[in-house]
Amino acid sequence: MSKLAATIDAYWNKGLAFLRFAAHALRTQLTTLPPRDAFVSQFVDAGWGSLGLLTMLTIFAGLNLSVQSYGSFERFGGQDLIGMFAGIGGVRELFPVMAAVVCGARIGANLAASLANMRISEQIDAFEVMAVDPMRFLVAPRLWAATLALPLLCGYADFIGLGASYLGAVYQLDLDPGSFLTQVQDQVRMVDVFAGMFKGLLMGWMVAIIACFHGYTVKASDGAEGVGISTNLAIVHGAVLCIVVNLLLSWVMYG
Amino acid sequence: MAKTEIQTHGLGSGPGAGTAGDAAPAVVLENVSKSFGDHHVLRGVSLTIRRGSITVMLGPSGTGKSVLLRCLVGLLKPDTGRVLVFGEDVAALDETKAKDREKLFAIRRRFGMLFQDGALFDDMTVYDNVAFPMRLHTDLSEAEIRERVIDKLHRVGLKGGEQKFPAELSGGMRKRVAFARAIALEPDIVLCDEPSSGLDPVMSATLDELIMEMHRSLGITFIIISHDTAEAKMVADTIGMLANGHLVAFGPKEEVFREDHPAIHQFFARETQGPIKVV
Repeated sequence: MSKLAATIDAYWNKGLAFLRFAAHALRTQLTTLPPRDAFVSQFVDAGWGSLGLLTMLTIFAGLNLSVQSYGSFERFGGQDLIGMFAGIGGVRELFPVMAAVVCGARIGANLAASLANMRISEQIDAFEVMAVDPMRFLVAPRLWAATLALPLLCGYADFIGLGASYLGAVYQLDLDPGSFLTQVQDQVRMVDVFAGMFKGLLMGWMVAIIACFHGYTVKASDGAEGVGISTNLAIVHGAVLCIVVNLLLSWVMYG
Repeated sequence: MAKTEIQTHGLGSGPGAGTAGDAAPAVVLENVSKSFGDHHVLRGVSLTIRRGSITVMLGPSGTGKSVLLRCLVGLLKPDTGRVLVFGEDVAALDETKAKDREKLFAIRRRFGMLFQDGALFDDMTVYDNVAFPMRLHTDLSEAEIRERVIDKLHRVGLKGGEQKFPAELSGGMRKRVAFARAIALEPDIVLCDEPSSGLDPVMSATLDELIMEMHRSLGITFIIISHDTAEAKMVADTIGMLANGHLVAFGPKEEVFREDHPAIHQFFARETQGPIKVV
């Protein structure tokens, strides 16, 4: 029982520490400008660095959406509805969530690992001793980069995924291109794309703050193992949070 | 000159304990204790470090030398006691309060620190590492910064290689770059955490000479923690000895050696038997 109490206590304290960290980071993010070079470097890494992976995955996901839905719609002669399915399922849910989870995991792992490495090699202490606020110079640029990159990646995923669905439907399944495009136009509004990007904005910040927390709070004495653990936690917690937040936002937006 | 006390039993560090010289103090520690759980790392340490001195704090591994150094710059908060740096009690400052944090940063700007493994910023070149504090804390133009960075790198014997990244440097070069960064703003106090660890004897001696050169030319106060007895003999004018969390000896080098404190004797003679116990 005492072990259970200690575990609960530890989680409680960790939760409080996270809230304090998030509040401090958000205050710093909103009240100070991040150093330009650090922001640009983080933004390029988060955005441009994720494009290859995201392009490949969304092409496969878009193609798969057409192929899988074709089998189901064909039974009642509704093949033409593939465009609607790709539009609603893909643009509203699959593509932005995939972008957020996959790119979020990649970005989060990078953020956590880099900060944890800086912690164990005393680089964060060096910032402190130089009277430089690490929150402003290390955490804030990472938060801004992920928060701004992820919505763009979500929008990009919509474009590539829908394009792949179209190519699959037209060139592999031999459907009428006009019918596909009409379905998409009828079902997908620009607001759906922006809603997906808005999800990306929120999820980007959350993935980044979780990753920064795990990386920043590693103890120097934890060494390389601490870097691995913090990276792992950043990926797992970030992915779970993306799924949960997406569900809540979908309820709010479309429920 | 005030009489220097050398504690011979290391328990109780009353007023006047661990005093070295009567020049205006740069750092005063009063009854500083620090524990991590049940592990008491520092127990009532009191000492005074005067400006312009080179103080070497010796002691076996795990006796709280690094903790002591971290308390000086507010990276760690002692459980009890006062840490006065140029008269300001660092231990009393609450980092979560904006005003206290400003004060703490103002104090930290008077420090430079050489970390044990350099703590160079991985994503910056050698040049940018040394220029970093200048860009942040001075109004110097980039041309003036360049001049100073080159000067500092020359002082530590590093010509060329400014555009290399830390990963491309040897251990000795990293230490020297870190030292150049520590003295970049020509601070009042430079803290050195095990400057000779991981270095070959020649490189270690080179770094010691650099410390003495900086001390002579810039009048910087150095506080060095080490377990390198040769280094202590070479650079120190004041020696302190921490053992089992207690400050067991502290004073001018000659007086500390003359007193022949058993812990000092054991440490320098590399004896396994004595007051210092291997835990």
